[in-house]
Amino acid sequence: MSQLLNSLLTEQRRGNLTLAVLSQLRTPQYGYSLVKRLEDSGITIEQSTLYPLLRRLEKKDLVTSSWDTSESRPRKYYVLSDYGEDVFQTLKKEWKKATNELFRLLEEENNEMD
Amino acid sequence: MKWIDVYLQEVGRRLPEKNREDILLEIRSTIEDMLPEDPTEKEVKDVLQELGDPVTLAHGYSEKPMHLIGPRYYDTYISLIKMILPIAITISLISLVAENIIGSVEEGSLITMILTIIGEGIWRVISVGMQVFFWITIIFAIIERVDLGMEDEYPGPQRKKWTPDDLKKVAHVPKKRAISQWEVYGAFLWTAIWGTVYFHADHLLGIYENQGEGLTFITPALNQDVLLSYWPGVVLVIGLEIALALYKLLKKEWTKGVVWFHTIQELLSIGIFVWIITDERLFQPAFISYISDLFGVSAAQVENGLAWRIAAIFIIFAVWNIIDGWMKYKKGVKKTKLTHEFVK
Repeated sequence: MSQLLNSLLTEQRRGNLTLAVLSQLRTPQYGYSLVKRLEDSGITIEQSTLYPLLRRLEKKDLVTSSWDTSESRPRKYYVLSDYGEDVFQTLKKEWKKATNELFRLLEEENNEMD
Repeated sequence: MKWIDVYLQEVGRRLPEKNREDILLEIRSTIEDMLPEDPTEKEVKDVLQELGDPVTLAHGYSEKPMHLIGPRYYDTYISLIKMILPIAITISLISLVAENIIGSVEEGSLITMILTIIGEGIWRVISVGMQVFFWITIIFAIIERVDLGMEDEYPGPQRKKWTPDDLKKVAHVPKKRAISQWEVYGAFLWTAIWGTVYFHADHLLGIYENQGEGLTFITPALNQDVLLSYWPGVVLVIGLEIALALYKLLKKEWTKGVVWFHTIQELLSIGIFVWIITDERLFQPAFISYISDLFGVSAAQVENGLAWRIAAIFIIFAVWNIIDGWMKYKKGVKKTKLTHEFVK
């Protein structure tokens, strides 16, 4: 039961995670600052998932990256590209629509049970 | 800091070489971000615990698929192996028999020959099986990887959107008209068998005689050099047969195209066959004289009669095959019309 639940939850979170990460990258962020921001909003993310995800987003040109070496330790900053911004807005719209529909669906089911 | 170095080493050796340094630098800077000034060993270990298993972390960065052959090609891969494996084994076994029959003339013993063939045969079936398996797997593993790279950049070949009207094209193949997978498979096997026999005819086709120790190969029937001089024609026929079998596999029923292709292929094959067999240099003199002794007729009579008698048998078979193909096609057409009317 718990193993099945885990894999279903992972599957469910995967898509949302991309959206959450994109939403935080409108200002440049480095890995750990991104983790902090997400955690402050109550979203926990495996770090071993996040860093590879950033690389993949960069490879698909949704974000760009640059090394900042001016501080005591070098940090890699990621920021949304113009293309990434377009994709993010579309994803956001679709996500809102889908969750609204799903919410209604689940509410109806709730009412039927009462 | 030793913990961190070992951790990064464990991640690094599993990373793609191209970005290894960059990724490691980023992870190191992240780890340091998470640690306070002058961390204790426990604090370092907690941070590493949070990052998790270095193997998992490294695999996240992997761009190559973590499997040899994925679900997209698995079906094709398996059915291709099932098809090619038996054909390859058949060819290798026929070649084996061909090579060993000559050997038996020297040794003279049927038992030895059979034992050699069985012993050698098992070994050969295993090695041919491994070869087929190995090469097909390699090819598919490459396809899986090459294709993946392209999928990243392009949305992939856009298939035409499916509509119920597409059902018309495949609708209802009447049983009489259908071409089973076994028929196609049989065609492949048949081509493989006669093709192999052709190239080993001097070892396989000939006079066998029971000389008390079992069958012994006395003399080959055909002059292999003459036979092989016709190779372009034979290769053409082999090519046509394979093309027809593939075409049948694609169409799955006797359509007008299939039945015409079939007819042309039969005519061309029988033409080339008759052309080869009526070559007067084809039969070995020893074989001719053996036959003429056997039936008590002159060698000249054998020479004239034999080729055309064999040819006649093959022509009858070819004509029958052509008629059979057309009959299957016609039957199908009638029946299809009926079902269409029925639907109306």
